[in-house]
Amino acid sequence: MLIRLAASLCFLALFGAPVFAEDFDLTKAKRTYKDFCSHCHGIDMVNPGTSSYDLRKFPADQKDRFYTSVNKGRGDMPAWGDILLPDELDLLWKYVVTRGGKEPLPKEEAAVPATDTDQTQQHGSLTTKPGTLTACLAKNGGVMSSRRAKGGAGLDYALVTALADQMGLALEVEWFESEQEEESTPIRELYALLAYNVCDVMPGFALYETSLSAFYKTRAALPRYDNKPAHLGPEFQVDLEPISVSDPYARMEMGVVYRTPEFEREITQIADMEGLKIGVEQGTLAGVLTLRQGTSKMVADSITANPGPDFLWKMEQGAFDAALVTVGAYDFHKKQNFVSTLALDEYRHPIGFNLSVAMLKSRRDLLDQIDPTINAMIADGRMAALAKKNKVTFSSPKEPWVQSNLTMEDILLRR
Amino acid sequence: MKYNCIKRLGLTATIIFGVANAGAVYAQTADELKNDTSDPSSILTYGMGYGQQRHSSLDMVNADNVGKLAPAWAYSLADTRGQESFPMLYDGVMYVTTHNSTVALDAVTGRQIWKSVIEYPAETPRVACCGIVNRGSAIYGGRLFRTTLDAHVIALDMETGEEVWRTKSIDYKAGYSMTVAPTIADGVLITGISGGEYGIRGYLEGYDPDTGERLWRTYTVPAPGEPGSETWKDGGDAWQRGGGPTWLTGSYDPELNTVYWGTGNAASWNAGLRPGDNLYTSTILALEPKTGAIKWHYQTSPNDPFDYDATNELVLATIDGRKVIMQANRNGFFYVLDRTNGELLAAPQFIDKVNWATGIDLATGRPMDTEVATKARTGEQVTYYPSAFGGKNWSPMAYNPDSNTVFINTFKDVGMQYKAVEPQYRPGVFYFGAEFAWAWPEGDRGELRAIDPMTGDVKWADSSALPRLAGVLSTAGNLVFTGGQTGEFEAFNAETGEALWSFNTGSGIVGQPVTWEKDGKQYVTVVNGAGAVYALFSGDERLATVPPGGNVWTFALVE
Repeated sequence: MLIRLAASLCFLALFGAPVFAEDFDLTKAKRTYKDFCSHCHGIDMVNPGTSSYDLRKFPADQKDRFYTSVNKGRGDMPAWGDILLPDELDLLWKYVVTRGGKEPLPKEEAAVPATDTDQTQQHGSLTTKPGTLTACLAKNGGVMSSRRAKGGAGLDYALVTALADQMGLALEVEWFESEQEEESTPIRELYALLAYNVCDVMPGFALYETSLSAFYKTRAALPRYDNKPAHLGPEFQVDLEPISVSDPYARMEMGVVYRTPEFEREITQIADMEGLKIGVEQGTLAGVLTLRQGTSKMVADSITANPGPDFLWKMEQGAFDAALVTVGAYDFHKKQNFVSTLALDEYRHPIGFNLSVAMLKSRRDLLDQIDPTINAMIADGRMAALAKKNKVTFSSPKEPWVQSNLTMEDILLRR
Repeated sequence: MKYNCIKRLGLTATIIFGVANAGAVYAQTADELKNDTSDPSSILTYGMGYGQQRHSSLDMVNADNVGKLAPAWAYSLADTRGQESFPMLYDGVMYVTTHNSTVALDAVTGRQIWKSVIEYPAETPRVACCGIVNRGSAIYGGRLFRTTLDAHVIALDMETGEEVWRTKSIDYKAGYSMTVAPTIADGVLITGISGGEYGIRGYLEGYDPDTGERLWRTYTVPAPGEPGSETWKDGGDAWQRGGGPTWLTGSYDPELNTVYWGTGNAASWNAGLRPGDNLYTSTILALEPKTGAIKWHYQTSPNDPFDYDATNELVLATIDGRKVIMQANRNGFFYVLDRTNGELLAAPQFIDKVNWATGIDLATGRPMDTEVATKARTGEQVTYYPSAFGGKNWSPMAYNPDSNTVFINTFKDVGMQYKAVEPQYRPGVFYFGAEFAWAWPEGDRGELRAIDPMTGDVKWADSSALPRLAGVLSTAGNLVFTGGQTGEFEAFNAETGEALWSFNTGSGIVGQPVTWEKDGKQYVTVVNGAGAVYALFSGDERLATVPPGGNVWTFALVE
């Protein structure tokens, strides 16, 4: 709950609360109406002298009729079902039924308050599809998530399965392909997928201060995902929205990987690797830390290589003897290569990131069930067991839960 | 698309009108088109002559007897969209278009000869920004040419209404549509495209009228490396969605063998994202009709943030011995150019309130921007005048060459609150890149003005509560005709501006009046039918009691 509070405060401080925050975003609804409806139904729904339906008179109790007419078209009106997004249609309905924000939402449209007795209704209002929890998982997420012919594998997949189970919901996974490019980082992909309502929740969110706030009110491209509509080209960008995050469920750490024949020493810091041929993973935090915290002799003799699965394979082939990498990368390498001479030292670098489950801020009521489940799973050892089953070297979350922005001082001195 | 939708009244009607038209030759020659203004018994070119002066030498109906003008007939177009069609007339048959039909009528009786229905995909109206309209046709060699909302160009047999050929210009789903009346110049069928609010890349096209084969396409936004591309300095792909639509019919000077065509706003409206002048958006183009090659260009609104199209009609005239081209631009200035070379001769302000520029520098031809323009480009909120409706919207003006007077329906003191925002591109969805709202004046919103084109001096003005969106017609009978959005068809004394006559047509008028003569009798025709840009975008409740529904109205003096 602490993080949720911190994240919420952060957004409030930065951007202020929208007027109808608890009901719907009127500004966005107005823009959606202008973009899709105004050229026939008129600005502010006033369309004097033309033949288009006067939306100000649309019966507030005929929501189904509205959705059907908009999706499928009616009379002269074209169908919009193939181009409007579900949340856009909801916004349009709310815009129309509140007469453009001038009247309050009818009672049944306002957010349904959670009650202990009516779980079903609560779920219906919290997830995109009633009775289903949708999660976005990366197909190429290494030991954390990967797609299988039926279902998936990995700790994140196991986690969302357990969460859906606990909430009494069916699980649906939207598999996406994480694309590491200049324009698209994993964090922007996550924001885009959530803002586009592709899924309710996304695990694997690294709790880093900047990631929690910096992307709201900007845009990002959607990664490829299985059910991505064909008309959304790669240039299509999504308006990002504020997110909320769960309590952390695991920790992403960096450790020293070494080739077993050449290694006999105790590591307490990076500099202890002096004398070994060191690999530097280019362009990653681990690489930067190696260069900044290693001794000058170490650095001078080091070998720089591209990041990704090839990095550890190079080491396997003898290009270097030891390197600082994320533990997940090591786990993935071991999973992919049954025969391997690489081993992971017990040493962990003090800089690490706790992992949490992210969702749109508007769905933060899901946290009432997600947070207790996660905490119980850590406390009773289920999380560690799931990790082990999925060949993930598990580390429990550590304080502070949200890693503050890394400074040069951190990079030089936190060792 | 399979297409065969000819409807006729039936055998009887065919025989009757077959007889009435016996001996008619459905072949308009190039010479006939050139001399359209000298023969008042026909209307063969959009704007009543290639120069689009909308002035007739007829004076049988005049300021003295216009009080006796009365309806001769009306014909229902059976359509509730806004009607903007320019009627064509040849050999006693009138041709009128709507978005979904073309009709041929006996001009004297108003009886239907044929009706040819147009079908287009039901989703097409998504990409029509400002009304489901059509502005008319071109006729040549026994064929009628028109465009369709889903961006096809078609040719119909003028005698039967049967489709002769159909060519797809482009996929409408990407935001392109066609409402423009095409034109014929030097034997080439030339057409433009709509979609400036949908992130299109505008163009003009030439077609072979015989076969429908596309002869050329000239983009109004150059690709990188092409001439003019140096005026797109964003370094990215802004040009691909750069706008520059060509949705109003151009003019043609047969002597210079040059077509003049105005282009629309650059897209998105957020000008800060496309630094540079952004040629050839908001530009007057002079083109070679056979090839589409650009001979010269004059840009009215460089790096335009305000939706100031330069699409408005280009009226050809000879003033002080010079061959000129005139345009009442959206941006509030009245441009007079030497049409042989594009040199700017005059650019007076033709409405009262303009705050985005202090004037047009006659030496450089460029607007002298105010802080309003510079702030708008850097994303600050501004209130600018005139609004995106413009000092004048699309509805065409008339020019009386005898009195050297232009008659224009203007917007009066209407401004716009505006702030550029980051646009989001989705094919076929509005691509504004700006938040905006109207800034209305307290009183009247429109004014019919009679002005001197070189000075902008106002000879007279008639203001109206609602702006008039109809075309204007001038006649040698010392008359000016136009219409109101509340349905009145009106006549004014061209010298004094005195309102002489008015008739309530039953639905708002946003169409284009014409006048013609048959068997020694003068007729005045206008298509009514409320709707289109103002009705859709103003939110003006005062139009609530004006019903839609298009009719072709024809008037003559009561005998």
